[in-house]
Amino acid sequence: MLKVHNLSKNYGTRKVLRDINFIVNPGEVIGLVGENGAGKSTLLQILATLQKPTNGSLSLYERNFEDKKKLRKQIGFVPQEIALWDEFTVEENMVFFEKLAWTNRTKTQLKQLCLDMKLNRWKDPVKSLSGGMKRKLNIAISLIHDPDLLLLDEPTVGIDLKSRKEIGNYLKRLAKDEGKIIVYTSHDMDEIISLCDRIVCIGEDPFYKNLLEEAGKSIIPV
Amino acid sequence: MKAILQTRFIHLKKHWGSLLFWLLFPIIATLTIMGLTNSLQQDSKVPVGIVVEETTPMALDLVDSIKQTPIIRVEQLSEDEALTQLEQHQLDSVFIIREGYEEQIKKGSRNRLIKSYRSDLSFAYSPIAEMVMSYVQQDTGRTKAVLTIQELSEQYANTGGNWTWEEIVDKSKAVEAEENLLQTSFTFLNAQTEEDANRFVLFNPWGVWAIFSILSTFMVMDWIIRERRKSLSPRFFFMRIALKSYLLRNAMLYLLLFIIIDIVTIAVFFKSLGEAVTLVLIFAVLSFRLTVLMGAFLLAIWINKLPVYYGFSFVLTLLIAIISGAILPTEGLISRYPWLQLGNPLAPFLSKEIGYEWNILFVILIAIWFVRKEKRNVKGA
Repeated sequence: MLKVHNLSKNYGTRKVLRDINFIVNPGEVIGLVGENGAGKSTLLQILATLQKPTNGSLSLYERNFEDKKKLRKQIGFVPQEIALWDEFTVEENMVFFEKLAWTNRTKTQLKQLCLDMKLNRWKDPVKSLSGGMKRKLNIAISLIHDPDLLLLDEPTVGIDLKSRKEIGNYLKRLAKDEGKIIVYTSHDMDEIISLCDRIVCIGEDPFYKNLLEEAGKSIIPV
Repeated sequence: MKAILQTRFIHLKKHWGSLLFWLLFPIIATLTIMGLTNSLQQDSKVPVGIVVEETTPMALDLVDSIKQTPIIRVEQLSEDEALTQLEQHQLDSVFIIREGYEEQIKKGSRNRLIKSYRSDLSFAYSPIAEMVMSYVQQDTGRTKAVLTIQELSEQYANTGGNWTWEEIVDKSKAVEAEENLLQTSFTFLNAQTEEDANRFVLFNPWGVWAIFSILSTFMVMDWIIRERRKSLSPRFFFMRIALKSYLLRNAMLYLLLFIIIDIVTIAVFFKSLGEAVTLVLIFAVLSFRLTVLMGAFLLAIWINKLPVYYGFSFVLTLLIAIISGAILPTEGLISRYPWLQLGNPLAPFLSKEIGYEWNILFVILIAIWFVRKEKRNVKGA
């Protein structure tokens, strides 16, 4: 279970996040929405232990966020930018990051992980892949060490609808079947509405809140 | 370290060609330059023909002495061949060491010991003839000394001295070598003489190799910039091996690789260029390698863009080559600004010394970089 309690973040005198409180249960997919600069990425980075909150506390399965080193073993982070070795094949990318990961996986397991995401070009170089395939590989690498919490920063930017749907379906399955906690940011409201169980609206602008209420989505009050 | 080796191997599979090129570049470039320089030097020497009609030790010693003269290239030929080549102006002059050379010298005769030929286009005949004559005079002088000593020995037979011709000649040569008048330094009113022994010379195989080696190390270490690119660095926060540790461990692997190549270089230079292998040289090479590798590592973690890194690499290499005196003579500059030499990481190596200062400084800088906290903002990172 992920618990966020009275979390605030200031950059100097500028308050980016103010008293954020929410709890996410295993198997849930949570969306983070808000206008540009509202603090979605900042919140995601705090959840990923890459930034320290100014105030408040966080815990994942009762493990405090102060214990960063141990906590990071339980976190999978999918950066917004595609973080792959372009000159490597899909296989080489997976093997490379597996060697440096916390958990050992066999090549068969790594290949299966890619196939689960409908990424079946194991021997092809990354530079020959479509944007959608690259995004799938970007996510697959973050899942090598089998994390409990998966944080995705706009993981489907600039890809076709089919790939987006495939990624969405996979993430839903991952949460429901394996009990992972998934936190997801996106500007695409349709995607958020179809994928996320509950949604956190960041920022003062009521636009997103109204939109979600119209769609009948459950909003987490922060 | 196993994981680092395995991941490095994946990278090297993609770049083995360029890696091999840059690793071997200093050896190949040095051998090429030294070969070219030697052949140019040979071409610019005066071609002289030597005909040896007898094979006595004294005649052969004379030929060796002439061959060791730096300004001439000696062709040992038969008389007919030598004269034909002289007629065709392929040789500047021809000297013939006549049959009975040693015998005549031992008899104390000084007439017609050497026969010489010149052509109408011989431009260096006079100085070369003077030089050959000076060698012959050395032999006749020694002979005279031998005869005098033997006469004195006979007069004072009871002194116990009973030296052979060879012993006296060998002793004479040893004294000559010990008291080399040409290398004696004189001082005027206790003025300080310039001490040549401690000055380093860049234009030797190791000096040339060092410059190319600096450049090649910079080129090989560009992997640091490629592999610590901004998009990939967030991944390492969630790995067993953090980015800094990954870079440092890989740098150690490269150090090992470079050391292997350096040992190969020492062997190649010994075999091809006759460079002596000493323990001091081995340690000087290792120390130099450590300095250059750590320097390249620091430059690569400081610069984010490859073109800027390459630019800095070339400028730094050129700067080191210049202050080492490879491109322009810098004696005046160095004597005026001695700190220029102190700031030259190449100086200890070229003086065949084990340099510590740069290594200590670089280790401290790397340690500071390693313990310093990483910037955490992923988006901005």
